[in-house]
Amino acid sequence: MYVDIYKYILLFSIFHSSTYLTFSLGFSMLFGVAKIPNLAYGSLYILSAYVMYALTTYIGLEPLVAALVAILVAGLASLLIGEVVVKPGLKMPVSVFITTLSVAYIFEEFFRIEMGLRPITLPVYPGVTYVLGVPVSNHWFLILSASLLMFLSLTAFLKYAVLGRSIRAVAESWDESRRLGIDPLKVLRVAFFVAGVYAGATGVLLTPLKALTPTAGWGPLFTAFAIVALGGVGSVTGTLIASFIYGFFEQSMTYVLGSGVASISPLILIVLVLVFRPQGLMGRVE
Amino acid sequence: MSVVFAKRSAKDLIVGKIPFLIALAVLTLLPLLNVGGFWLDVLTKVNLFLLVTLAIDLYSGTTYYLNLGVSFTFGFAGYSLALLNVYYGIPTEYSMLLAIPISIFFSLAILLPSLKIRGVYFAILSLLVPIIFVGIVTAQPFSLYLGGEGGLRFKQLFLDFARSLPPGVRLTFLQYSYYYISLAAAVVGYVIAYKIGFSDFGFMLRAVGQDEELAEGTGINTLKVKVIGFLISSAYASVAGALYASMRPPVTVDLVVPANTLIPPLTSVIVGGLGTLIGPAIANYLLLLTYELLWGLIGRWRVIAYMLLLIIIITIKPQGIVFKAYVEARKFLRGVFSE
Repeated sequence: MYVDIYKYILLFSIFHSSTYLTFSLGFSMLFGVAKIPNLAYGSLYILSAYVMYALTTYIGLEPLVAALVAILVAGLASLLIGEVVVKPGLKMPVSVFITTLSVAYIFEEFFRIEMGLRPITLPVYPGVTYVLGVPVSNHWFLILSASLLMFLSLTAFLKYAVLGRSIRAVAESWDESRRLGIDPLKVLRVAFFVAGVYAGATGVLLTPLKALTPTAGWGPLFTAFAIVALGGVGSVTGTLIASFIYGFFEQSMTYVLGSGVASISPLILIVLVLVFRPQGLMGRVE
Repeated sequence: MSVVFAKRSAKDLIVGKIPFLIALAVLTLLPLLNVGGFWLDVLTKVNLFLLVTLAIDLYSGTTYYLNLGVSFTFGFAGYSLALLNVYYGIPTEYSMLLAIPISIFFSLAILLPSLKIRGVYFAILSLLVPIIFVGIVTAQPFSLYLGGEGGLRFKQLFLDFARSLPPGVRLTFLQYSYYYISLAAAVVGYVIAYKIGFSDFGFMLRAVGQDEELAEGTGINTLKVKVIGFLISSAYASVAGALYASMRPPVTVDLVVPANTLIPPLTSVIVGGLGTLIGPAIANYLLLLTYELLWGLIGRWRVIAYMLLLIIIITIKPQGIVFKAYVEARKFLRGVFSE
């Protein structure tokens, strides 16, 4: 059956972008609050996937229950990383670079030793739907709706909830928010937990379609880095736009150049954007 | 983080120079104690990594512009060497020398436009450069010319000469010559870095790190200082990369991957104390040798143990531990001498 390539690119850039969006949202928000990138963020992605794998294969839990448990574990792990590793080094951003990176390597090595390099997969949501004549796995629709839900709930949380507003206040200025009676460290804890949940959810959602190895955390981490650099730190709208630019650019480049170079082509785009607009597309000049 | 430098007395110089001379003597005489080929290789690597550590400390440690593209400069020197060797037939000894300016030039050309970007964005941008390079080298059309995952093969340094020697001493000759070359590079690199660190230029670099606007206000051309500092830093990384690659063919992306050639030196800089030169230099030897020792002790769990150790050290003392320990030790020594 003949499938129009443009339809294909358009559809799959939307699907891929939505996964980038969920993953980058947590990273961006946390980056905004802590002012430091959490390089252990990618390991939460693999952590939740491995936890779900262990729960479904060895214990035989229902996929939905296992997924929720895995996401919760990722959130708690993120909270722990924030408390133990990030908080003591907040005054020395360079040291947080190293410590969070060390955490990422610990996770990678642990899974390499315990699970080996053999890729794992998780159960796929069954069925195929035809959209514009293109066959699409129903799992992609699950991902799309989940990420839409996560995007909207984060937007609403940051806009209306007291805690969400505190997150924005702390991202704006630690000192000012302290004067307003907000405890930045408490807010940081919330941000770490929410970010962990977002990373974990992406891992659980994406692994069924994309086999996972212990080194799988790095790719999403750099993608998130690039998207946040493009969209501006802490900007939800910026992250949304940047994710779609990234996804669309990557998918079209895959068609033009082949998958090898395509995976790095968005990074080159982002370097160029940053050189001319250092604060990102939606970021503000400080 | 400011360090006050007083005018040095003769006693200070004795106390300050003696540890350096002892370290030099130990490193020079160590191979004569028959430490074995494995440890000679490790020490050669550690000597060369000292240059990378100094590259990071001289620039990022003083100006706080965290240049994570050092591993790109390091690896690019290796690739330039290999390409000159493979496609132009230039012997390793000469292509190694040619690779240094080429790598410096490309690092400057690629990373200079980002120098106007500050803080975390600069760090991100400079980290993207080696990652993009790895992507290009392993991707389809380029990997045919750049060797892909398998890397580019060429004759290692002094191999032709070594082949003229009797078979029994070939390997020993190579190992010993590499070790002493790396040691010479490390010593010269350290002395130059020390001179730079305490020169007027070194103070200008620190001024940029403390407060860029204020430095500009006092009449320092901050852009010029940053560019020259970057140039020196790239020169260190390039020399290290070219020497390292010339001793261990084939050249692969492992040279560029930040985990291999960025994280160990960066860790040394942080554990050693940013911008203190002696601290990172000591930390470089302590940490890298510890890492190799762990292999014998706990095997495959060494990465986890090492990383946990790092986290503990850095979490307890984010400002670096080695420099402070060194200062304390010197105070103690001075006390002993004045008795």
